[in-house]
Amino acid sequence: MSDHITEESNFSETKEKEKEKEKQKEQDEAEDEELRKLLLSDVQNLPSTPPSAVESNFAIYFALDFMKPRHDQYVYRHANGLCVIGLAPSHVAFKDEGGITAIDFNVGKSDRSGVKVTGKRKKNAQHFESNTALCKVSTKNDSYIVRCCVKGSLLEVNQQLIKQPELLNASADREGYIAIIMPKPADWLKIKASLVSFEEYKKLREVS
Amino acid sequence: MEQKAEEEVSNAFPPSFSSSDLKQLLHSLPSNALNHFFSLGVCVRCILRLFGIKGPIYASIDNGSVENPVDSTASNETKLCNVCLGILQFRFYDDREKRMFQKDAAYDVALLIADMVRQEGYQFDSFSLEVSIPPLILQKEASLWSYIQTKYGSEPWFQEKIHTGCVSIKDALKFSLINPLEKLLDCKSSWCPFRIRLTYTHTKASEGVAKCSDNGGSCKRRKTDESDSTGERPLSSSVENGSFDCSKLFPKSENEPCHFTYNCFRTPFYFGGRYLKYSRNVSQTCWIIDDERMGEASVEEIIGIKVLQACRGDNYKFHAAGREDIDVRMLGPGRPFILEVQNTRLVPTEQFANNIEKMINEEENKLVRVKNLKLVGSDGWNLMREGEGEKQKQYAALVWTSRPLKDEDFQQVSSLKDLKVVQRTPIRVLHRRSPLEREKIIHWMKMETVAGSSQYFLLHLCTQAGTYIKEFVHGDLGRTHPRYDKNLRLMQCLMAKMSGTHTNLLVTALF
Repeated sequence: MSDHITEESNFSETKEKEKEKEKQKEQDEAEDEELRKLLLSDVQNLPSTPPSAVESNFAIYFALDFMKPRHDQYVYRHANGLCVIGLAPSHVAFKDEGGITAIDFNVGKSDRSGVKVTGKRKKNAQHFESNTALCKVSTKNDSYIVRCCVKGSLLEVNQQLIKQPELLNASADREGYIAIIMPKPADWLKIKASLVSFEEYKKLREVS
Repeated sequence: MEQKAEEEVSNAFPPSFSSSDLKQLLHSLPSNALNHFFSLGVCVRCILRLFGIKGPIYASIDNGSVENPVDSTASNETKLCNVCLGILQFRFYDDREKRMFQKDAAYDVALLIADMVRQEGYQFDSFSLEVSIPPLILQKEASLWSYIQTKYGSEPWFQEKIHTGCVSIKDALKFSLINPLEKLLDCKSSWCPFRIRLTYTHTKASEGVAKCSDNGGSCKRRKTDESDSTGERPLSSSVENGSFDCSKLFPKSENEPCHFTYNCFRTPFYFGGRYLKYSRNVSQTCWIIDDERMGEASVEEIIGIKVLQACRGDNYKFHAAGREDIDVRMLGPGRPFILEVQNTRLVPTEQFANNIEKMINEEENKLVRVKNLKLVGSDGWNLMREGEGEKQKQYAALVWTSRPLKDEDFQQVSSLKDLKVVQRTPIRVLHRRSPLEREKIIHWMKMETVAGSSQYFLLHLCTQAGTYIKEFVHGDLGRTHPRYDKNLRLMQCLMAKMSGTHTNLLVTALF
């Protein structure tokens, strides 16, 4: 008789535990469903072609005919003040057959690729003027000097270009960037006046 | 030390003590020493202290009815005590009321303090008394004590008490004030967050310190001619042969009452919980540049201001286990945080925490949600450390890629486990962080289709703590890339395509 009762009480205990498990599972599923909905809430009204990461994070400027005709460079300025410098698609170097074949950072008084900038305060960074030479890019028959465009501290040069100069031909506007410069706020304002916006660039160089 | 003194109050003498009881007690003490102390200008409570007596007797004595037991002359209580400079005689300059204060009973001082407490409007069911005494007085006490040790060290009554030493001024003051305060505030004193702080300062104290620094920091050497806190030879010999001039123990120039100030405060309370952030325009902490706020609000203010107002505190400090960008949502279980609230006027309870959680979650704009808000002790910090140290973090990123997706892409991405990536300091933080290369691990990834699109997808990923997710997806102009490995060429291609063309992404933190 007592065995029967114990069996019954054990049975109801396990049933209760099962009920609790079920409840917890339901709760978890409900939370997961809510999370899914939230994740996909961004999905409404998506543009078919959103702006690129560069377009979203930087203000894009161009320096046209910098010190020499058709020496066009871009300046991407981040909200934190840093400027990424590179060759604009209309740069004369890209007109040469075969495009750019080599790059050399050893110009002016030092090898720009050799400087080690360290720490939050950017120790050892060299201070350059806007017309200081940054590097020299060579094509089959010619070479062109690329300049800073912006007065400031040189934080880094794109070391990848030394081994892979073809990045300049394939994606000069991204992986083929040349250097990152940190200007003082006053120096930026001075140079900004001589730069043109993306829209103006497209008009002036008839690029789509 | 403070805790013990409060316990001993209840263990020692019975609370009611009459002046005849005091007389009896004084008569029971060794008369030669007693008389000597009286002649040195030591007040009655300091005398009791020197004989190691404890308990509520300190509270019961009425200064006006104390007599010198030996020769029944008027008591020392009219003159300023040479050791405590009036602290135990309830004579001081009250910095709050800005006037001299001179009362006969501890109860009167307790009244002053209790009035202040009532004005401040704190809710409390217990209090803890803290006392601060100027170093000048501690020096006087030390020199007197070492003089006594030298003069009476050999006497049997001293041998008996030597292991207890004398009762400190702080303890004697607590013995004086705790009983009356308990009556006036209608609660017991105990070790608790509500503190009443009594601070005594002395104008001569800074001079004493200056003298010390002239001496190259060697106070003890300087004071040898007046007293000797270390019991060095010159003092003991002159004391023993009776040639020591007692008036040198207590220079008259220092004979001024102390300044007294008193206040009350509560030690901080800590609330712990997890927060979710639904908005892409809310920063974690208050973010203001040049008087302009970035974003529309901050998590710390949304939570902190509500809690602060509810407990009526002075200010708060927000501590979170890690952080996310302003434009990144925080969903899933939520991020652990601790909110420290200082000097609350009310005492928060569990129910209180529940109510605040509801208030925050019922806000109309639904920018932030709080889970499991509760009061935490030191265990809360352990939870935080765990939260930060959790080696793996999970995210979901909505990604667009210019090349339409194929089934193989989904499979390839899912097959990659513990992918090593090298991240150079992202350009967006390069202005304030060191230029370094950091290797991080992407533990797993899963791509999920987004209805109706062949170019948008949801990327679920689990990464090592400290990985820059945005830069992993868009490549940061090639400054974030996978470590080269023959198995990863395919991933590289996909990654390169994603960063090489146009990408945009919206990241959500999910861990």
